[in-house]
Amino acid sequence: MKSLIVKRIIAVGIALSAWELLPRLGIIDPLFIPPLSQVVVTINGLLESGELPTHTLISLQRAFSGLTAAVLVGIPLGLLLGGWFPRLQQGVEPLMELFAQANPVILAHIIIFFLGIGEGAKIFIIGWLCIWPITFSTIAGIRDVEAQLVKAARSFGLGRGSLFFRIVLPAAAPAIFTGLRLSAGYAFIMLIASEMMGASSGLGWLVVQSQESYHVQRIFAGAVVITALAVITDLLLKLLERRTVIWTNTGELDICDTHEPKRVNLYQEEAP
Amino acid sequence: MGTVADNYKDAASADAKIVVRDINWVFHLKRTRTEPARDFIALEDINLEVKKGEFLVLVGPSGCGKSTLLDILAGLAHPTSGAVYIDGKQVSGPALDRGIVLQGYALFPWRTVRQNVEFGLEIKKVPKGERKAISDRFIKLVGLDGFADRFPHELSGGMKQRVAIARALAYDPDILLMDEPFAAVDAQTRENLQDELLRIWEETKKTIVFVTHSIEEAAFLGDRVAVLTANPGTLREIVKIDLPRPRTNSDIRSSAEFGWVRHKIWELLQNHQPEVRGAIDSRPVADAISPSAEL
Amino acid sequence: MEFPQSFRDHLLRSSGLTVFLLLWELAPRLEWIDPDFLPAFSTVMVEVCELFQEGALQIHLLVSIWRGVTGLLLALALGLPLGLVLGRYYRDLAETINPLLRVLSQVNPFTLLPVFILFFGIGETAKVAVVAWVCLWPVLFYTITASREVPLILVKTAVSMGASSEEMLLKVIVPAALPTIFVGIRIAACLTFYILVAAEMLGAGAGLGWLVHNSAMNYQIPRIYAGAAFIILLGFLLSRFLRYLERGLFPWQFEAMFQLSGEPAQLAWRPRKAASIAFACTVLVALVIGGFQVDKINRASAQGGHTGHHGHQTMAEDAPGGPAAGGHGSMHHGGTSVPSKGRGSDLDMSDMTMEEEH
Repeated sequence: MKSLIVKRIIAVGIALSAWELLPRLGIIDPLFIPPLSQVVVTINGLLESGELPTHTLISLQRAFSGLTAAVLVGIPLGLLLGGWFPRLQQGVEPLMELFAQANPVILAHIIIFFLGIGEGAKIFIIGWLCIWPITFSTIAGIRDVEAQLVKAARSFGLGRGSLFFRIVLPAAAPAIFTGLRLSAGYAFIMLIASEMMGASSGLGWLVVQSQESYHVQRIFAGAVVITALAVITDLLLKLLERRTVIWTNTGELDICDTHEPKRVNLYQEEAP
Repeated sequence: MGTVADNYKDAASADAKIVVRDINWVFHLKRTRTEPARDFIALEDINLEVKKGEFLVLVGPSGCGKSTLLDILAGLAHPTSGAVYIDGKQVSGPALDRGIVLQGYALFPWRTVRQNVEFGLEIKKVPKGERKAISDRFIKLVGLDGFADRFPHELSGGMKQRVAIARALAYDPDILLMDEPFAAVDAQTRENLQDELLRIWEETKKTIVFVTHSIEEAAFLGDRVAVLTANPGTLREIVKIDLPRPRTNSDIRSSAEFGWVRHKIWELLQNHQPEVRGAIDSRPVADAISPSAEL
Repeated sequence: MEFPQSFRDHLLRSSGLTVFLLLWELAPRLEWIDPDFLPAFSTVMVEVCELFQEGALQIHLLVSIWRGVTGLLLALALGLPLGLVLGRYYRDLAETINPLLRVLSQVNPFTLLPVFILFFGIGETAKVAVVAWVCLWPVLFYTITASREVPLILVKTAVSMGASSEEMLLKVIVPAALPTIFVGIRIAACLTFYILVAAEMLGAGAGLGWLVHNSAMNYQIPRIYAGAAFIILLGFLLSRFLRYLERGLFPWQFEAMFQLSGEPAQLAWRPRKAASIAFACTVLVALVIGGFQVDKINRASAQGGHTGHHGHQTMAEDAPGGPAAGGHGSMHHGGTSVPSKGRGSDLDMSDMTMEEEH
């Protein structure tokens, strides 16, 4: 196990060094991919000028608000449809699938007429985007709660409400979390896109501005920050998931590592 | 190879198809948080011979290394020491002179029944027309005539196992190695399949080494039953089954001889002493192995 | 995804949609919503037909499809072999670089678009490259997982028959991994479509996304809805079709335990070898020809379509409601675009990096 972490760190180190050296040596055109140090310097500059924190906060705020709105509406909606009104869910599902296909940037052009281009519009669009994965995975999570589990709980004489909150909801939680992580990912991607199109602030706008002025380092700086944010968000959500949904962790059996006598290793077979 | 091997070869009887000499299989367990590093002996000094055309059953509790022994016979694993000779030649790897049937069917789900059966033939580079004729024959042999173009997911468990048998037989190996093939099937189907297997065996006259943990199955199927015990895995005794052939489920199982044979095997499995060696403490070593480790 | 049998089920499942369409028709007509901003469903449908008659719909559809398919094929050409090798033969390497790959996969494709545009120019290369990037990750990850998790007993059975490593790869590993790989492809395809449309709004002269964007710039409101509706429908159909395909090609994935009930149930589709080769060749030829066509269309749009963008400039100035993206003016440099990558049967990545646009 330990050696894997060390190897991974080395791999990361190699990758970062490559990023630094290859453009400097001219193997990769530095106007296409600037060396790492330049990007870092640019990020630093942006931090100091205050641009980076401002725009980051703006973007995060939008993403977060949209996501929250989606969670607040989507999870109850999914719970209702999945748990209480299965017939309604069947009727509405095709419609929801169609709605889920609606790309935020497409929506932006339509929403403009009703909500303008302010923050409200952006949050609505992000919320729309996020709500569908969350709702769908909530519905799926509830549907997949093992019938046996419910039966067993019922035999304890649990009423409907109690049954729901203490059995069904926790059982559906892993699926709900997956939907949440998925939406967060999408949210961030599409937020940047919508900021590139119709905004005057935010990280997406920053990147597009840099494109105008041919400032490649800035574009990369923006890209790195955006990616970092996406990665951090994903990790945080994973952490949150692990904390609240620990029973789905398959755990590691580290009882013994066996060094077996030589097996015919024509192909990479996995040790059982 | 050398004088030692020749000795063994000569010492073996004339009609021995498979000769197993001094097979050992040792797991080296790494140091864990609670135990020091030590060796776990999965197979110790296994010696046996299988005659041509014989039906030999290996029976024993879980974890006694019988599946490992079968792997060694198949050439899928190299023992820590010792060797296996087939027709006098040492086994060094898998080959088409042996066919293996595993628990869980192992059918290729993307191939039809016929295509599954023909898999070995394809490796053997048999031309297409001949392949079809051969696969037809074996599909019929296992009683699946008419299902040649079905996919495995359309078949029941018993049928899938028959396809696996047909596949193993199709490329005409001399030896059939079967690792608890009927374990995943329900009781009724299992008895049917046992009858079928004996019928096929009598028709094709292959040498069969059959691994099971069911005493009943062992007594019913085998000419001889090798009883293996665990901890360490040793060959305790080989019981000769004198029940008359052909055996069908209806008559044999209720006979007194069958009961006696079964009891003998059972007894052999009960009275083993776990051998404790060297400086290892008396706790059973098997506790330290994860339940999912495959031996 | 269920396929309900009875008519009542069908009725139920279409009820939500029906209600929605009804509302869409009535709300503007009854002036619940301003019909200038939300035209009735029928109006939008008429507009779709008009677009179809003009030929605009087909052209833009084909452009988008071309970009999507080309990008996807590129991703497959890179991702499939890489994934197979990493999953099967270089497992340790795969484990080691896994975090790196994960981080790379989370790089926002829209941040790459400006980079590619600055570097490759406003031609097709940039967009196809973005599509290829987006597709690569699901394909790669799923292929790695798929080839790693080929059931051990299948491998064991093949080894026991003495299969060579070539035979093992072609006859066992690839077919066993295919269902999971297909899931990756399906996800990639749907993601592509999603992102492509957005990318076309940001920097293109043709394509479905551009159509919607352009209509918005020119205040042709029914057109916006027409384009949007078409895109949504297309995405929906694509996802459905791929699931259908998956079910037909790999039916054993979906049955837990199957008992023979007399009726032959879902057989797995097996296209004839000749037919699939012919199909593949046709697709490749179509892509090559399509590449040249798309390039032509893009150039024509970039030069002749200046009106579109001029329209946009005025929009930005007098209509506060229009999206005021300052970036759009700059999306245009010089109109000359990089020749599309429609050469040869295997469009490989090395071609991409060489071309430069300044």
